[in-house]
Amino acid sequence: MAIATATEDEAVASPTRAKVSDFLTRNAELVITPAALLLFGLGLALLLSNVELDFTETRQLNWDTTSRRIWETVELAAASTVLVLLIAIPAGILLTRPGVRKVTPAVLSSASIGQAIPAYGLFILFFAWMGQGFWTAVWALTVFSILPVLRNTMIGVEQVDAAVIEAGRGMGMTKLQALVRIELPLAVPVILAGVRTALVINVGMATLAFLVGGGGLGETIFSGIQLSRNLTVVVGAATVAILALGIDWIAAIAERVLRPKGLRGRTSPTDTANPI
Amino acid sequence: MAEPDQTTEESGGGDAGGPDVVAAGAGTAHGSDEIMIELQEVTKRYPGSNEDAIESLTLQVPKGEILVLVGPSGCGKSTALRLINRMIEPTSGHIIFDGEDVTTVDADHLRRRIGYVIQQIGLFPHRTIADNIATVPRLSGWDKQRTDARVDELLETVGMDPSMYRDRYPNELSGGQAQRIGVARALGADPLVMLMDEPFGAIDPITRDRLQNEFLRLQQELRKTIVFVTHDIDEAIKMGDRIAILGERSRIAQFDTPERILAAPANDFVEDFIGSGATLQGLSLERVRDVQLNTDYPVVRHDVGVTEAQRVLETSSEDWLLVLDDDDRPARWVTLDHLDRTDKRLIENGRKVTALAEPEDTLRDALEEMLLSNAGATVAIDGRGKYHGVIELETLMNVLQRMRREAKAHYARHAEPDTDDTSVDA
Amino acid sequence: MDGIQSWVEFVVGRPGEILGYTIEHAILVAAVMASAAFVSILVGIAVHESMAGRSVALSVAGVLITLPSLALFAIFIPVFGLGWTPSFVALFLYALLPILRNTVVGLNEVDPAVLESAKGMGLSSRQTLVKVKLPLAWPVILTGIRVSTLFITGVAAIAKLIGGPGLGHYIREGQTRLGLPLGMERLWTGVVFIVLLALAFDAFYLILNRLTTPRSLRSRGG
Repeated sequence: MAIATATEDEAVASPTRAKVSDFLTRNAELVITPAALLLFGLGLALLLSNVELDFTETRQLNWDTTSRRIWETVELAAASTVLVLLIAIPAGILLTRPGVRKVTPAVLSSASIGQAIPAYGLFILFFAWMGQGFWTAVWALTVFSILPVLRNTMIGVEQVDAAVIEAGRGMGMTKLQALVRIELPLAVPVILAGVRTALVINVGMATLAFLVGGGGLGETIFSGIQLSRNLTVVVGAATVAILALGIDWIAAIAERVLRPKGLRGRTSPTDTANPI
Repeated sequence: MAEPDQTTEESGGGDAGGPDVVAAGAGTAHGSDEIMIELQEVTKRYPGSNEDAIESLTLQVPKGEILVLVGPSGCGKSTALRLINRMIEPTSGHIIFDGEDVTTVDADHLRRRIGYVIQQIGLFPHRTIADNIATVPRLSGWDKQRTDARVDELLETVGMDPSMYRDRYPNELSGGQAQRIGVARALGADPLVMLMDEPFGAIDPITRDRLQNEFLRLQQELRKTIVFVTHDIDEAIKMGDRIAILGERSRIAQFDTPERILAAPANDFVEDFIGSGATLQGLSLERVRDVQLNTDYPVVRHDVGVTEAQRVLETSSEDWLLVLDDDDRPARWVTLDHLDRTDKRLIENGRKVTALAEPEDTLRDALEEMLLSNAGATVAIDGRGKYHGVIELETLMNVLQRMRREAKAHYARHAEPDTDDTSVDA
Repeated sequence: MDGIQSWVEFVVGRPGEILGYTIEHAILVAAVMASAAFVSILVGIAVHESMAGRSVALSVAGVLITLPSLALFAIFIPVFGLGWTPSFVALFLYALLPILRNTVVGLNEVDPAVLESAKGMGLSSRQTLVKVKLPLAWPVILTGIRVSTLFITGVAAIAKLIGGPGLGHYIREGQTRLGLPLGMERLWTGVVFIVLLALAFDAFYLILNRLTTPRSLRSRGG
């Protein structure tokens, strides 16, 4: 049955060596980032323990308050990111289906203009509609960060090689099977890049949640500004910076782990993802 | 462009009476009287276009044969192919697959019964090789054990070691390997029919040649019904049991075996399309084993002695004497001049024999060898390298003349209305 | 409907005031973009041929853009006080990454065959950069500047929270007067005029792209 074939000239160069160096290059930053953040955090803690704080500063910078605000920021970012995923990914997929596809360019170009909508204004608008509270902040964040995920989902699905879909359909996959088994897995890297962008936006903009009584580290920063306590401002800003970089780091790892296996080794789509 | 002439009617008339006859020449056709795929006056016009992409195409593909659709780019040959597995829906006409009108069955289920190979291959980059090959078996609900066994079997079939390649990803494959996997994947659930759209088009010429040969060998075992699209007439001649040369809007310019198309192009369009190399192309359809070798050539064993060698050569009309070694394998070419001038032993005298042809080689291979050889002749050997006979230019010219004669005779018979279609060409 | 009508009345009633804040906003954004584009393009040119330089520059800019905006605005208060300066610095740091990345990508994307032929005709590496690489990369760089501008225009609203200039003023006023007469009108004025300003910048880049890019390259810049 078997055909004796020589494949000598078709042999693929041993990937082992490339893999090792590739692994190191790719993971160097994954090791350096948390180490640097840890050092930075320790330095901050050291600074705080050696500085005499006045009453106002102590009230803002004590560990209980800070840890509560960190946790609030994480909750805000997590809740809004989940909402974004639930809304933007199905919507993005829908917008790439034949029939709806005509509106794709319009959606993409409004998505790009949408970046100019001021998050600050969005928070206050939601405040006017929904009143104070955690969910007001979550919805404002959701609306603000929905565009990158929507955009990347659409681009991710559209960039899938038409030949691969053709092959799948040609073998008798139904439209749904082709979507679930081919298009979506192959769009995952680009969608993940969008999700990571949204997450970073959400952490960053969660600092504005204090405007609508949503809590978070923005309270520390803003009270420092209002009370002219520079130390409070800097510590608040530094803490939220460490948090944002840490969450981005986790997202970067997740992005790598979740990327389908056969697609690894390609350049990360994050490199070309939309900036926040 | 000419209307499809009698050549189309001949093949389209299979339902009228006797079985569709396939020329026995070159031993490539293994047709049966069963029609696997039939297109009946199929027309395709894309929405918004005011011209047909395909205009009333009628053709039949007998079971177990390779039909090649060949034509200039834009002639709609890929469209015609994609109509068969309903990647595109026809505007009018019928497509019958294995006795069923394809428009009456579920398109997705239909496609699972038809292997489909495209130029870009379209392997799923996020799935392993094994997963890729298992696509259709899984879609068809095979159990894991049967699927796994089938995957290994198919990897073996296309000459790739299952233990080595099963768990690799497509991006670890070369172009040729990827195309092998593409073919294996299309064979997944053992479909009766394969549709191949320029499957070797994006592969370098050397690898392409090898893949074509492998595929033909595979086909000898599998006997699938295959519709193969290419724009390359050489590939069409090599791969096809029959060729449909398509002109604009997929109108059939000629539909016949490669031999007859080369020997008797139906019209100027076909002649232009097959090009000036057609005669030489004809040689690539005949194999050494099928021709009458010259066995009267002066040949001696190397241990007969120089005197005997001189005597044999002097009594023959040839200039060169072939010397065989202990195992009867062709070793040297010598002339009288060589024999006179030196007293070297026969086995060391003259020139080394380089131009050899095995039974499976084509006459075109033999011709190329011949042009490079000192003696102006190619030595035919058997599978173990023993001397079998000699091929000379005259041998080849006889073959070409015979092919031309046969094609003419064939068309002469079929031009008449009530031809007995069952006669088989020699 | 009533809301829209009263908003239009609000806007029509204060053309000078709104124009003033819009110009402030525009000046802030334009100043930020001009300096960020200048620095990013220079840095991009300097690092685009070195793997290490590239990854260091892009990582630094990547970290900057990851920082929460309020934090970035606030962290310079101890150094620069409140107002224009910390706003400018924060926005400047934010604006770098898209331009830097597109500069590096654009310069490195130039067809090697084109560079080879430039070299073959005897162009020095400086001449190649100025005459070949930069013109070919320009549409891509311009896209980076455009993306940065859109995003900076929105973020600049936050400047108001640290006493900075611009249309954030109306959002801040809307916030403090929420529930009071003309509160919502102020809020919407801030949001709408920021988006309108962004559209104006976008149109400006579109024209700039037309004027500075050879026809054959236009589709690339987007």
